[in-house]
Amino acid sequence: MKQPRGIVLGLVIAVTAGLRLPLGAQASGAAQLAQRFAGMTAITGYEQAMVDTVLSLLPGAQRDRAGSAVLVLGSGEPRRLAACPLDETGFAVGRVRPDGWLTLRRSPARIGAPGPLFDQQLEGQRVTVFGQRGPVPAVVAVRSVHLTRGRGPLAQEPFSVDDAYLDLGASSERQVSALGVAVLSPVAVVKRPQRYGTDRLAAPWAGRRAACAALLAAARDASKSGGRTRSGTTVVAFVVEQQLGARGLLTVATTRGPFAETWIADAAGAGPALAKAELPPGPRAALGPVHTWDVPTRYPGTPVETVSLPDVEKTNAAISGWLTGEGAP
Amino acid sequence: MRTAILAALMVCLGASLSAQQTNRVTEAQAVLAPLVESYGVSGSEGLVRATVERLLPKWAKAKSETDTAGNLWVRVGKGDPLVVVVAHMDEIGFVVKSIGDDGSLEIEAQGGFFPSLFEAEPALVHTGTAMVPAVFMPRDSVGAKPQRTPAAFRVDVGTANRVATESLGVRVGNTVTMPKQYVRLAGTRATGRSFDDRVGCAALILALRRLNPDRLRHEVAFVFSVREEIGLEGASAAAASLGGRPARVHAIDTFVSADSPLEPQAFAVAPIGRGPVARALDNSAVTPPVLVDSLARLARARAIPLQIGTTNGGNDGSTFAAWGVPDVAIGWPLRYSHSPAEVIDLRDVVGLADIVQAIAERW
Repeated sequence: MKQPRGIVLGLVIAVTAGLRLPLGAQASGAAQLAQRFAGMTAITGYEQAMVDTVLSLLPGAQRDRAGSAVLVLGSGEPRRLAACPLDETGFAVGRVRPDGWLTLRRSPARIGAPGPLFDQQLEGQRVTVFGQRGPVPAVVAVRSVHLTRGRGPLAQEPFSVDDAYLDLGASSERQVSALGVAVLSPVAVVKRPQRYGTDRLAAPWAGRRAACAALLAAARDASKSGGRTRSGTTVVAFVVEQQLGARGLLTVATTRGPFAETWIADAAGAGPALAKAELPPGPRAALGPVHTWDVPTRYPGTPVETVSLPDVEKTNAAISGWLTGEGAP
Repeated sequence: MRTAILAALMVCLGASLSAQQTNRVTEAQAVLAPLVESYGVSGSEGLVRATVERLLPKWAKAKSETDTAGNLWVRVGKGDPLVVVVAHMDEIGFVVKSIGDDGSLEIEAQGGFFPSLFEAEPALVHTGTAMVPAVFMPRDSVGAKPQRTPAAFRVDVGTANRVATESLGVRVGNTVTMPKQYVRLAGTRATGRSFDDRVGCAALILALRRLNPDRLRHEVAFVFSVREEIGLEGASAAAASLGGRPARVHAIDTFVSADSPLEPQAFAVAPIGRGPVARALDNSAVTPPVLVDSLARLARARAIPLQIGTTNGGNDGSTFAAWGVPDVAIGWPLRYSHSPAEVIDLRDVVGLADIVQAIAERW
């Protein structure tokens, strides 16, 4: 589904707002790109602003019919695919209440939360609502600790998306509408990439973002090198809706394949999830044997999912070797 | 920049503030934002105190003094009755209890809050000379029956051993917070962490800016207190130093509001944006009804919107009780107290400053 221009603009602005200068040593190449990507938001089904960024950074890449960014290097046989999923589990406005509070639903909606504490990341935190007129700051309501005193123990079930009330500062539906926010506006926790230690980067989905940065930097270098790539055709794809049946990946497989092999760059642990996914057999077969470039993560699935920037550079080097054939397994 | 954003937001929402009201809201924001973005866990309020001093009018800064407890005083006017107005500078957070062999930090909460709101979030360790970026570590395992509240969690500064952590300047006793930012919401609303009680500090500063110190009819002591969140310690020292001399004390502190779909509506229902609140009954004090009435009359005379209510929590003014000093606490409604995303309405800050000014000039 095509995104309204306002949402795209909003996501792009949010990307800029999410940038933070590194606190420690200056990173370069893939590591620097990883920091940039870590400040971005690309909720499943609402990835287009991030795709726009990828297209702007990767001359020659084009948007395919699913919305993924695809670059073709070389020609002829064999055909190989290198892909990275862009999307993240997030939220969309489910309802605008008459009193101006918003409620949410998760996207992708057909699966549960990535973990039992995933929704709890929202509670009492600032979020960004990507409205048609740009990003709108909001907070997710939480009970005031003072008002719980003397009222018995708190329920200990983890916070769920159904408990979430978004506060934009508005007090009516009309005010919400004036901000360009409506049902289906994407919502994500504020991305505040945190550099810490000598070489660590923490952010939600940092592993996946770092993997995409490693692939993009390698593809850009390969593309710039005047076609010094391995023989045959190499398709590089930054795919959408991975978490919704790997739709973007399978579209690449069916429209650009079949492939002799497919390599997926992602956070460590994400590869096996794809292997277990129930995919339609024809498109799945078009991927050929699937291998992974894994970026190791610490605290996976949390708002402080952490990667080591040297690991990002190592992944980038491995991908570069594969693309040029110099380090191909 | 923030002024332009404010104007745009209000135009966007069709808010009907007069030009004068807009200017007052803009001034309130200009004072409040730097206070909110200063870090000061209980016992380490130095940065906040420096920000307060910077924002005071010149004449008040020249008169200001810091006592041995760390409270910042500005005494205005002369003669009895002495009236004390107090707002606290400290905020909730953590203190480093120990540094582990693996370099991570054992921490202990300072003040009351839900620890789940800090778990797995970015962190800052305040060494006294620098802020060391870190993360609050998520729990290792959620177990078979996940619980909302984590067991004690630690801080990871990105090192592998104690020596490396200490080389960053981190020591036992340092404070730990979450990075924070003042952010405008729709209309005249804003979010941030530690509005409790930087709004009170802002109100005192704004009132001082509007006061003519030569025209006060009695002495007023403006006290920016320390260590409120861990037991009203700074105010206790101030009260002991003044004894029974004050005629009244006004704690200017949060009115924790039930203005949210999550809260029971039995009490504390003071909507944000409808003005400051006479905090007439809380967990530490009861304002004598006759003084609540006097406060309401004063507000009416100055056309200041005033809500009257009861909420939970203690206040600095209660430390004067042993000397028989009445505590006329005044708050401003706050949503989501002691969370990283507290929400206020800037019009309430303006009203709160106006009532503090009125107290100094007329009561």
